[in-house]
Amino acid sequence: MKKNKKIIQFAILLAVVVVGALTISDSLSGRSYNPPAAGDKAPDFTVKGLDGSTYRLSDFAGKTVVLNFWGSFCEPCVREMPLLQGVYEKHKDNNVVVLGSNLDEKLLTVQSFVERTGVTFPILLDHTDIQKKYGVIYYPTTFVIDPSGKVKYKKIGEITDARELERFF
Amino acid sequence: MTDNIKCECGHLNHVGTVLCESCGKPLADDDGQGLLEMRYDGVARRSQKANPNVLDRIWNFFSSVKVAVYLIVITLVLASLGTILRQENTFYNPALTDMEKFYREEYGLFGQIYYSLGLSNMYESWWFRGLLLMIGTSLVICSLDRVLPLYRALSKQKIRKHLSFITRQRVALQTELDPSAGPADAWLERFAAALRARRYKVHMEDGALLAEKNRFSRWGPYINHIGLIIFLLATLLRTLLPGWSMEEDISFIEGETKAIAGTPYYLKIDKFVEEFYTEEDLHESMREKGVGMPKRFEAEATLYACLEEPCGQPGTLEELARHQIIINEPLKYDNLAIYLFYYEPTDQIVWMNLTLEERDTRKPLGQFELDMFNPAPVMQAGEYEIRVTDFFPEFIIRDGAPATKSREPRNPGVVLNIAGPGTPPEGYRYLFVPKLGIMEELEDDSYRLKAEPEGNFYLSLASVDDVRLAHYKTYLSVRSHEGMWMIWLGAAIFMIGVVMGFYWQHRRIWVRLDGQSLALGAHTNKNWMSLRREVADALTRSGMEADQKDLDNEVKRS
Amino acid sequence: MIVQISNNALVIALTLYVLSFILFVIGVVGKKWSNRDPEAHVRRYSRTAFILACAGLASQLVFFGTRWSYTGHLPISNMFEFLSTLGMMVAIAFTVIYLIYRSPLLGMFATPVVVILIGYAAVFPWEAQPLIPALQSIWLYLHVSLAAIGEAFFAIGFAAGLMYLMRTVNFKEARWARRGVEFTVLSVLMVVGFIFIVFFFRGMGYEAQFATVETVRDEAGNELEMPSTVTYTLPPIAAPHDSEVMYMDSFLGMDKPLFETPGWMKGVNAGRKFNTVIWSVISGLILYGLLRLIARRPLGAAIQPALTDINPDDLDEISYRSIAIGFPIFTLGALIFAMIWAQAAWGRFWGWDPKEVWALIVWLFYSAYLHLRLSRGWLGAGSAWLAVIGFVIVMFTLVGVNLIIAGLHSYAGV
Repeated sequence: MKKNKKIIQFAILLAVVVVGALTISDSLSGRSYNPPAAGDKAPDFTVKGLDGSTYRLSDFAGKTVVLNFWGSFCEPCVREMPLLQGVYEKHKDNNVVVLGSNLDEKLLTVQSFVERTGVTFPILLDHTDIQKKYGVIYYPTTFVIDPSGKVKYKKIGEITDARELERFF
Repeated sequence: MTDNIKCECGHLNHVGTVLCESCGKPLADDDGQGLLEMRYDGVARRSQKANPNVLDRIWNFFSSVKVAVYLIVITLVLASLGTILRQENTFYNPALTDMEKFYREEYGLFGQIYYSLGLSNMYESWWFRGLLLMIGTSLVICSLDRVLPLYRALSKQKIRKHLSFITRQRVALQTELDPSAGPADAWLERFAAALRARRYKVHMEDGALLAEKNRFSRWGPYINHIGLIIFLLATLLRTLLPGWSMEEDISFIEGETKAIAGTPYYLKIDKFVEEFYTEEDLHESMREKGVGMPKRFEAEATLYACLEEPCGQPGTLEELARHQIIINEPLKYDNLAIYLFYYEPTDQIVWMNLTLEERDTRKPLGQFELDMFNPAPVMQAGEYEIRVTDFFPEFIIRDGAPATKSREPRNPGVVLNIAGPGTPPEGYRYLFVPKLGIMEELEDDSYRLKAEPEGNFYLSLASVDDVRLAHYKTYLSVRSHEGMWMIWLGAAIFMIGVVMGFYWQHRRIWVRLDGQSLALGAHTNKNWMSLRREVADALTRSGMEADQKDLDNEVKRS
Repeated sequence: MIVQISNNALVIALTLYVLSFILFVIGVVGKKWSNRDPEAHVRRYSRTAFILACAGLASQLVFFGTRWSYTGHLPISNMFEFLSTLGMMVAIAFTVIYLIYRSPLLGMFATPVVVILIGYAAVFPWEAQPLIPALQSIWLYLHVSLAAIGEAFFAIGFAAGLMYLMRTVNFKEARWARRGVEFTVLSVLMVVGFIFIVFFFRGMGYEAQFATVETVRDEAGNELEMPSTVTYTLPPIAAPHDSEVMYMDSFLGMDKPLFETPGWMKGVNAGRKFNTVIWSVISGLILYGLLRLIARRPLGAAIQPALTDINPDDLDEISYRSIAIGFPIFTLGALIFAMIWAQAAWGRFWGWDPKEVWALIVWLFYSAYLHLRLSRGWLGAGSAWLAVIGFVIVMFTLVGVNLIIAGLHSYAGV
């Protein structure tokens, strides 16, 4: 009888500790979300591209990733496209890849834009998933992510000089 | 089994027992005079043992009612502090990322202190949650500690109790029966009958009586605690398990279909209706202000599942549910519920049924439908093939070329390729912006207007019915109902427990006859005056005059 | 026409409640005056007083029923309707408890609570407005009416608790207890004073208007300043922050506001509310001062002799019993149905917003009270204090949260 009591008491207190740990760690892990900044780990994502294939950030481990968020309605985004295309072409054999993430515009719009501007780097069709994860509010926003998956640079606004990005390669 | 106390009646009691489980004689050291402590019928609670180890100490801590009350009071005081200034999560502005700066600027020094103490994000903080967890633990341990011994004590009650047990009850009477009124046993029978008439369960032994009613009321507190525990567990599960507390806010223009992120579903809002109260419905003061008061607004919503990618085009969606969503009635499907929480007027083109015409003669050549949300890539108008090659939701001219200002289809423009009889194979390229009345040919390679147009096309609407406008933009919130049944279950069990415990009282009456000497004691968990009246009434019916004041032992003993 | 009948029924009810109160007082206090048998005196006056109270309740039910019929919704949709209904619930709860315990002293304490609640309700606009879509739900009715019933029982618990304290506190020696009782009486008088002041100045047609600036934040977080006028119906002791007088009726020679509301009080109406609070405090203090002058000792001590015949334990029991009856009802109405409604309307059953938090605080407070009653040390005076404080918290939740914390709108221009 006594032994049963002890077991029950222990079991209950153990349950409390487990639940407590779960609750507190959940609180601490920030339901209040902090967007990744330089030094943070870049959140992984899975999304379909304009070319129909599926893209995951983890697929690019070992490469430097320039993740650019753009929209066809955003003038500075349009202006910096040639520069990004240039960086892509120059460094794609140096383990650097440029990804352009478009938030929720019509397929038609994106396709046409890509044709007109002549960009060849992969275009991702995001439906708020990546945007939320990266805390993107203003356009354009560009992240440089190093081969180990850490954010090295976050810029809000137009990139005017390729060296802004190149210094991280 | 050395931790036991033997009572003079022969029964072995656990250490910590206050009143013998069998005869009720007080076992603890006392002066033999005062009223008995009848809590939990005097049984030993689990936690009262000699030599507590660490486990026992923790258990004892949580099983204390005093600690529980402290936890409740601390929780309520802290919760009140969280209402002084607005909590962080009530600010919906996504651009507001530096909260510390905001609180300092908006509320001054007080705001800064408030923020740094963590009061500005209190209810989701680890320490507030930890507090609730401690209350939950206290609920479990307090209840377990008491309910099992209490159950044991109440189910094994002896009828004939020790004399001091009876005379030291809060309601008690000691007297001599009048021999001329008949034998003592007969009186006891009459008394039993009077009590049975009051719905007591009466048990009799030789010269002793135990009458009891509403024992179930004692379990009330334990049942309501179980309800609270289930409720708290449910809230915990909803917080921790992924998908259990989904929250997606989406905006729709009338006629728009959108995917619901995180689910395989699509939602379409067809029409939004807003109705205002008429002048007569409103009272003067509102009429004077000239402000309208909405009477009703509802959104016609349809939920779809995607049959084949890409979803959105007609034929790719399968209808699952349909509902007129009003603010108090969401669309429910499976474990999802879709709520309407905001709307605003707008003015956008949703769909047009366009007539392709010869520009000079206005001769109609064919018709085609243009869906502004999801323009089909290829359409047929008579003998002509129309291709949409670009789409600008809010058309503007930028650097001399067509571009879009935003994603909202406030002023849609499309680039069309019209090919067919009389055109070169690749067709003529046109820019069509309905709201601005633009239908102009563009250069083939660039988007510049052609200086000398070659094509001869025009687009127009045959009638007013050939265009559908959206007048409202609605904001809907998609939420998961997963696990809500557990919340309501916990609440219902709580209510049952609380009603059981508070609206009935557990009453017991003991009588002991020693020859002509009568000793009567009674106990209840609450509402003593009523008990005294009831006992006095039963005594009177049995032939003994008694008043409820005579039974008040508290007065006599104190 | 029906509106007239309805409103008149409420006025009649209020009058009857006031008369009932007066008769209860005469019954209890005056039993030593007349040469007749004190017991008979008390019985006669209490019986009549109770009949008057019941008549008042009947009249208020007429008001309630007629208003329900011509507005099409249960009369609980705005401050006036809710507070007057709460008063009615207190009257019903009082009737129930009175029929069980037959205590004329309870009548003496409970009827003023009803009168004050209805008087306070009367300050707010009486007009019936149709319900906005958010309020068109059966859960509104269930939530609000059950919460009101629960709170009504808490009010009776308050009255009995206050009586216990006045009966048992040794006003000559127990300094803190004495101050606590006097403070409670003062707070009640501040509400009474507020009611008198509002109707007095309204009767005079007093008005003052200020031109000020309202800061509005748009969705982008930009602050815009818009010109705005604030109207006071009480003489401005505290003018709105950063404002200019447009015009101001003169009162007792005061034709300029005395000072400006400090800027840390947020909201364009903060000044007006602050001014109202100042007036309530002043009028309460004046009333208290006058009564003290007449009584020539602490008011609690003045009332104490009237209470000697009642057994304090019975008061303790009445107070506890009321709260025990009210607690489940309050839980069901104020918390559970509120959660169900929140889930049906917004998709989240609990959001920690100030109104919800304060309802929880009331609930936690009364659970602490019920648990403390398990220990003998808390019976009697301890419970009585808790019953009094609990109801103060209830009133804060009903009034203060709207006024101070929500801050963005007040229910009426007072």
